[in-house]
Amino acid sequence: MMAGEDLRQAVIVAAYEVRKYLRSRRLLGMLILLALIIGLILGLPPALGSSYPSTPNAFVGTFAGFASLLAVLCGVLFAADALCSEHEKRTGYFLFPNPVRRETIVVGKLMASLAASWTILLLYYGVASVAALAVTQSLSVDVGLSAAYALAYVSCVVGVAFLLSSVLKGTIAATVLTFFLFTLIFTIVGALLFVGKVDPWFIPTDAAGIISNILSAPGQGPPGLRAFVPDPGISLAVFAGYFVIGSIVATVMFRRRELKT
Amino acid sequence: MAEPIAVKGLGKDYGTFTALGALDLSIPAGTCFGYLGPNGAGKSTTIKILTNLIRPTRGQATLFGVDVQREPTKALRKVGTVIETPEFYGYLSPLEVLAYAGKLRGMSKTALAARSESVLKTVKLTGWADKRVETFSKGMKQRLAVGQALLHEPDLLILDEPTSGLDPRGMAEVRDIVKSLKREGRTIFMSSHLLGEVTEVCDAAALIDHGKLLLQGTLDELAKRADATAFQAAFLAPLNADELAWITGLPGVKSAADSGNGVIEIRLAGGPEVQASVISSIVRSGLQLTAFRPVGTALEQLYLEQIQETSK
Repeated sequence: MMAGEDLRQAVIVAAYEVRKYLRSRRLLGMLILLALIIGLILGLPPALGSSYPSTPNAFVGTFAGFASLLAVLCGVLFAADALCSEHEKRTGYFLFPNPVRRETIVVGKLMASLAASWTILLLYYGVASVAALAVTQSLSVDVGLSAAYALAYVSCVVGVAFLLSSVLKGTIAATVLTFFLFTLIFTIVGALLFVGKVDPWFIPTDAAGIISNILSAPGQGPPGLRAFVPDPGISLAVFAGYFVIGSIVATVMFRRRELKT
Repeated sequence: MAEPIAVKGLGKDYGTFTALGALDLSIPAGTCFGYLGPNGAGKSTTIKILTNLIRPTRGQATLFGVDVQREPTKALRKVGTVIETPEFYGYLSPLEVLAYAGKLRGMSKTALAARSESVLKTVKLTGWADKRVETFSKGMKQRLAVGQALLHEPDLLILDEPTSGLDPRGMAEVRDIVKSLKREGRTIFMSSHLLGEVTEVCDAAALIDHGKLLLQGTLDELAKRADATAFQAAFLAPLNADELAWITGLPGVKSAADSGNGVIEIRLAGGPEVQASVISSIVRSGLQLTAFRPVGTALEQLYLEQIQETSK
């Protein structure tokens, strides 16, 4: 458990991490990407002469299709270099001799990563909801559930990114591996498991199907083909598992890691 | 009151390589202690263990009686550190760097503002207070490192090569800061391979090589342990072999070697009395002595002797 002093220090670490996102323009970069995605989703249909979906679920469903990618990019930009950069860039020589526990530093950085990632996704869903309300004149609870699932998924990505950041030496390696793990490696493993007739419920990228599925009409898969449909409860448990285990391992590894460079 | 630094049987291995053997060291309060040794001797390893950056393989290190490994946050509370040339977050300004460190240490806003202004003035970074650190030179970062170490007015300063990366003026300024801290009664533990620097600012020193403590004592004690002191004697005309042999045979002279151009290097065994006697003998002999000056300090002599011995 964190004592009051640890929590106070964690908040300070988090505040300076957020300042890093702002000054290094990572947050700005994500906001620009967000604006591009939203602009394309809202701008392309009228430009191509087609109409918007008529139901709120179908309308936000288009947005939800990109939520997983946004979550991965958030993990890459806000979490992947959080721990290893203190070693690689030697800033640990300034930070670590202060009377602050390494666990507190990890918690502070984790708080900042989650806050930035959640802000991006909430903003994304916020714009999607407002647009859905304007176009379809209605909203559904499913939109809120999809947003909640997206937040859970991004937490899972952040947990895994922290784990990688705590064990890898370089920021580039941590960043690249986090990105490819969630865009390629997990997808390939999930597909191979599925071919081997094993449901990939424990693979985060497959479990993340719940973000879009909640907004789709049931039974929309190709007829006659076996399809993996993740269960929301199980997927949330998987996300929580990856986040908790990732964070705990990251904390232990960061605490054990010596500053030798 | 417990000693600011107490180290017992401290050692660190990296696989089969022993970076630090089994170090025993204690630094009394108010001492400015020089920690000497060549590159790779184990100085930085000791300092990194003391500041909880690495774990010892054996032994114990305490700061003010608190075990650094068991209670690092408590042990480091009254300590300011400069370890190698630390990097700072490039997106912060010196004021923000100090605010980060100060807030982590629980300093109040008022104290932080006052101390930040004061230390930036001390390390001559006032004009750069709002500029981002990413534009700073190594020397400026080193000044900031010294500044953040002083921020919370620590009772103990652990400085690893504090003048590294500084120009001669910057080096002199850091030495002045260390001297002023010494006058304030703070304990300073400073690693260096600049013997002149240690001689200038420290009261006591330890010499380490290959992870082993070779010598420890006050500077006076160490100077007395120097086997010989070297001098350069310059003459109006070059000496011949007989004259050189005669000087070599003088009481207290360990050796005399011709350095060319009428200059010889004389190694003496003994203190100022021997020096006076040798100078007097040379002058009385009729040899035209134009200068007699020390080559380095006694500490340098001792250092070189000891390092040569451990290299054998």
